[in-house]
Amino acid sequence: MSLISLLAREVRHHWINAILGTLGLAIAVALLVTVQMTTAAAERETRRVMRDLGFNLRIIPRSTDMDHFWTHGFSDQTMSEQTVRTLADQHGVFLSFNHLTPTLEGRIEAGGRPALLTGVGETLVGPGEAKQPMGFRLKPGQVFLGSAIAGRLKAKRGEGIQLGGREFKIERVLAESGTDDEVRIYGALSDVQRLLGAPGRINEIKAVDCLCLTADQDPLGKLRAVLEQTLPEARVLQLRTLADARAKQRQMATRYAQFAVPIVLLAGAAWLALLAWLNVRERRVEIGLWRALGHSTSRIAVLFLGKAMALGLVGAVAGFVLGTGIALRAGPELFQVTAKSLRGDPTLLLWALVLTPSFAALATLLPTLRAIAQDPSEVLRAD
Amino acid sequence: MIVCENLQRSFRGPAGEINALAGVSLSIGRGEFVVIKGPSGCGKSTLLLTLGGMQRPASGRLRFDDCDLYEIPASRRNRIRATKIGFVFQLFHLIPYLTVRENILAGLPPNEAAAQPLARVDELIDLLGLRPRAGLRPGTLSVGERQRTALARALVKQPALILADEPTGNLDPHNAAEVFRFLGAYQREGGTVVVVTHGQDAAPYATQTLHMAEGRLGPPQPGPPRAQSNAPTPPFSNNS
Repeated sequence: MSLISLLAREVRHHWINAILGTLGLAIAVALLVTVQMTTAAAERETRRVMRDLGFNLRIIPRSTDMDHFWTHGFSDQTMSEQTVRTLADQHGVFLSFNHLTPTLEGRIEAGGRPALLTGVGETLVGPGEAKQPMGFRLKPGQVFLGSAIAGRLKAKRGEGIQLGGREFKIERVLAESGTDDEVRIYGALSDVQRLLGAPGRINEIKAVDCLCLTADQDPLGKLRAVLEQTLPEARVLQLRTLADARAKQRQMATRYAQFAVPIVLLAGAAWLALLAWLNVRERRVEIGLWRALGHSTSRIAVLFLGKAMALGLVGAVAGFVLGTGIALRAGPELFQVTAKSLRGDPTLLLWALVLTPSFAALATLLPTLRAIAQDPSEVLRAD
Repeated sequence: MIVCENLQRSFRGPAGEINALAGVSLSIGRGEFVVIKGPSGCGKSTLLLTLGGMQRPASGRLRFDDCDLYEIPASRRNRIRATKIGFVFQLFHLIPYLTVRENILAGLPPNEAAAQPLARVDELIDLLGLRPRAGLRPGTLSVGERQRTALARALVKQPALILADEPTGNLDPHNAAEVFRFLGAYQREGGTVVVVTHGQDAAPYATQTLHMAEGRLGPPQPGPPRAQSNAPTPPFSNNS
């Protein structure tokens, strides 16, 4: 009788056992798939939420009068708009800096009172990255108004506004922020360059620190060293509290993933091993009998491993479907910012198809070999 | 056919070391019907499994035909067990997920499925009165039917030697007599039988009876003149 025929008959006869075994495997795989998907989603969510805290690095001309900078909030010196491209083109820059956004900032009068005017250029992200650029994206002729300015001018979204003798469309009125954004007008970089009489110039590159080091790990020293080599005419300032909070949160998310996934993996592995051990233990007499009938150790092992692998394959597919379903169902509630990014991961199915049967076979192999090596007199003899 | 010299084997039990085989020597010729008797735990089953190449002795030698059974590679020992030795157990040890017919087929050497062995399976099914049960699983059989199935499984490969461990221990007198009738018929055809039993049913068939106590065998006692059996004479020609 062929091994496949024996295997099929055994599975059919012990169908409850086979279903429970498959269910155990499927639940273990589902748990792993769910945890893996939700952990990845949690990391993504953390990155996005932290990113939404805003830029935490300010790159300004080295010759900036820092007293002016701190009292006015922007540099009195400018640099070429091309500087941002020069910086982005340097090898390895995006390992330390990302979301490089050229800006030009100055003061103007709006409604007879001073206001801040900020021009925002195109944001550059690392090559090949699918990241959504941070910051505002404004087309020429559009402006965003801070809420205090909008209130002062009694301006509303969709209306026009005169700045420097030109008409601009109010694309958005910003919500109250409790910062100097209340009196800020954002416009396209080219428009602001014209309004401030500085065509082709910027006075700051806003960026995000990619090192994600906490304050005690001296991120600023490292960033300054990188900038020293790539853009010596500039200096970098770090919004330390923001950067530190971001780094801590992201490090926590990474540490949690590194903790949770192996724990679930170990728990799943222990579960599978227990199921395999129980199955082999239940069939010790059968193993002794096959030996008595002259079957080789390898043939007996294949009989048990074949079953484990077959159940492993079914459990992998069922577990992947179940785990993905749970993650997709629970995900939008858990991860509201990045809910749309949550989707089934085919690579997890591939891993499940390879690892589940392999592990099920491995978990079965040890108790099977042990049972085969066991003294047959313990299970076969009458006295 | 079998020559054992000073077989030794001990186990660690709850009450300490148990000498299951304490220097067992014996000789069994082809065509013999050997009955081994003795109290529970005296080492009878261990001796039987050792004779069948299932349990390596701690020391001593065991010659089966022309080879030292525990000196040859495991693969060759498996082959000898698969082709020349049939086991019958007190608890039958049928494979629960196979039908009667498939259980008997399982007694054939692995991968052997020629037409002749398949015909022999059907012959044994008829001979042992299992035809109406051939498609059923062991769970639905009476104990007598289970043991007849186990007997057929042992006989299907036409072994040179049958080792039976309390084969009638769970059977009523009628079924017990049936089992020994078949074993006796097999022996008359030239097969060799070694039976461990408590009962007297095997006595009429025994060519020698051995008593075992605390891992040792007493002197062999010759059996009675060959009893006449009413059993049908099955085609039990064996792989000698």
